[in-house]
Amino acid sequence: MKKIFSAYILTIVGVGLLTGGLYFIIAIENPQGLLGALPYICVGLGCAVFGHGLGEIILQNAMKRAPDAAKQLEIDMKDERNLAIANQAKAKAYDMMVFVFGALMFSFALMGIDLLVLLLFVFTYLLVIVYSTYYRFKFNKEM
Amino acid sequence: MKNRLEKIRKQHGINQEELAKALEVSRQTIGSLENGRYNPSILLAFKIARFFDMTIEEIFIYVEDEKV
Repeated sequence: MKKIFSAYILTIVGVGLLTGGLYFIIAIENPQGLLGALPYICVGLGCAVFGHGLGEIILQNAMKRAPDAAKQLEIDMKDERNLAIANQAKAKAYDMMVFVFGALMFSFALMGIDLLVLLLFVFTYLLVIVYSTYYRFKFNKEM
Repeated sequence: MKNRLEKIRKQHGINQEELAKALEVSRQTIGSLENGRYNPSILLAFKIARFFDMTIEEIFIYVEDEKV
């Protein structure tokens, strides 16, 4: 019940953002700076939020109409083998990401891109590494 | 780890789908368990043992020199 309510809220927010964005695209003449990009961000964000909300509503309604299929979906989502596969795939992707983003930053540095952009990349990269280390310690204490 | 799951399941006259439904896992999990491609968690091992009214050791056989 709570899930479908939040899905309706999301859909309404999405429509609001979408129409707001479209209105500002038409209404604002000669937008300057951030105002030029903001309506398009609103439209993009609105589409994503609306799509997510509507998808959730359709899913919830389908689950209500077919309880057997809903139960099977729940089983598949909670199935320990499926979870193990998903976690292993994520771990593999993370391992690859560490190397790929490292190589990407190195190439950007060689290309001589703006220092601010490069530093943003480095800090984001380090944030992910620190996040991983934090959870390593956290899970180490918990388990 | 080896197991006698397929044999025991067939002895009880149930198919993979029925067993999966009873244990609340996917049918693929039962298939992988029977083929020995997947080792269950201790909770699932207990669930399987309870379902067949047996002990875990009667279903799952630990192999000493196995690489985990």
